[in-house]
Amino acid sequence: MEQKFLDLLKEILEIEDRELLMTDNFREYPEWDSLAYLSVIAMLDEEYGIQIEGSEFKKLKTVGDLFSVVTKK
Amino acid sequence: MSPFDLKNRVILITGASSGIGRQCAIGCSKFGANVILSGRDKGRLNETLGMLRNDENQCHAVMACDLTDYAEVERMISQVVEKMGRIDGVLHCAGISTTLPLRSVSIGKLEEYFNANVFSAYNLTREVCKAGNFSKEGGSIVFLSSVMACVGEVGKSLYAMTKGALRAGVKSLACELARKNIRVNSISPGVVITPINQNLPHIAEPERREALESKHLLGLGKAEDVANACVFLLSDASRWITGIDLCVDGGYTAM
Ligand SMILES: NC(=O)c1ccc[n+]([C@@H]2O[C@H](COP(=O)([O-])OP(=O)(O)OC[C@H]3O[C@@H](n4cnc5c(N)ncnc54)[C@H](OP(=O)(O)O)[C@@H]3O)[C@@H](O)[C@H]2O)c1
Repeated sequence: MEQKFLDLLKEILEIEDRELLMTDNFREYPEWDSLAYLSVIAMLDEEYGIQIEGSEFKKLKTVGDLFSVVTKK
Repeated sequence: MSPFDLKNRVILITGASSGIGRQCAIGCSKFGANVILSGRDKGRLNETLGMLRNDENQCHAVMACDLTDYAEVERMISQVVEKMGRIDGVLHCAGISTTLPLRSVSIGKLEEYFNANVFSAYNLTREVCKAGNFSKEGGSIVFLSSVMACVGEVGKSLYAMTKGALRAGVKSLACELARKNIRVNSISPGVVITPINQNLPHIAEPERREALESKHLLGLGKAEDVANACVFLLSDASRWITGIDLCVDGGYTAM
């Protein structure tokens, strides 16, 4: 499940040159921008049926934080 | 009588529970129309109802309906005709929007957006044009398209395709329905801040918003600006206009 999540995130952020780590601060990725944000929101909804509020999302910092949203479901 | 008058006209407005549709309903009621307010959220439709001008000879109705549920739409139209009489005008404001890059537009998203923005509009038009539903004198059908149907922005391809489809459909529908004296036109607004876009990056992020504002020569619009154009296209003031798209965009597409 963890690997599938990391693969999806990599794909949605169009990251080709490295592996993602749970400890990464995704907001510091050079690929991170407002379109990437909307893409992640859409991915969480489509793949995991999770709708997340903007204010909730703001609290998430690391890839692990994002993953915990998925596992908490 | 002013050519803009809508007295005794039965006008069905979709998307009347919010934003532009709500303002159009208020505008039409001011010009004397009998307005049918349609949307999914009954509570917000009733709020709109409370905002309408309601003179002695006017009569308005609320009809909650999900436009992607075709059986529900059929029921709604027959109820409208039964309760209010034949329809003289349709203003189709219901719609959804998003900003998503190519990589995130799945087939599922395409289906969702085409269902909500295109199929629902076409099905609604079919229903109102069925025998016995539209006024024998004819009337006017107006779709809400968008400037995105003719210019581009990053992340807008999905929305733009749906709005382009509406704009393209208008011309052939105008040809087909002219013999019934039904005019078909679209309106393409530039950006008006409403619930549809208030959380999208071009409005929510100050830098992007500034860039967007500078693209509107006259600044961002108000729902009233769009509503006034809608009243024009619904009324006899536009009786010789069919098959057009009217850009109401503060100059966005002039540059
Ligand atoms: N605002 C802009 O800058 C702008 C620019 C260009 C074009 N437009 C177009 O103008 C139209 C109105 O936009 P707006 O800004 O007023 O948006 P809005 O405030 O979000 O209103 C959208 C309306 O559509 C209704 N709706 C959505 N899906 C529906 C469904 N399946 N069945 C029935 N009703 C549905 C909603 O009703 P419920 O919530 O009750 O379901 C709501 O009343 C849209 O077609 C939009 O694409 C807007």
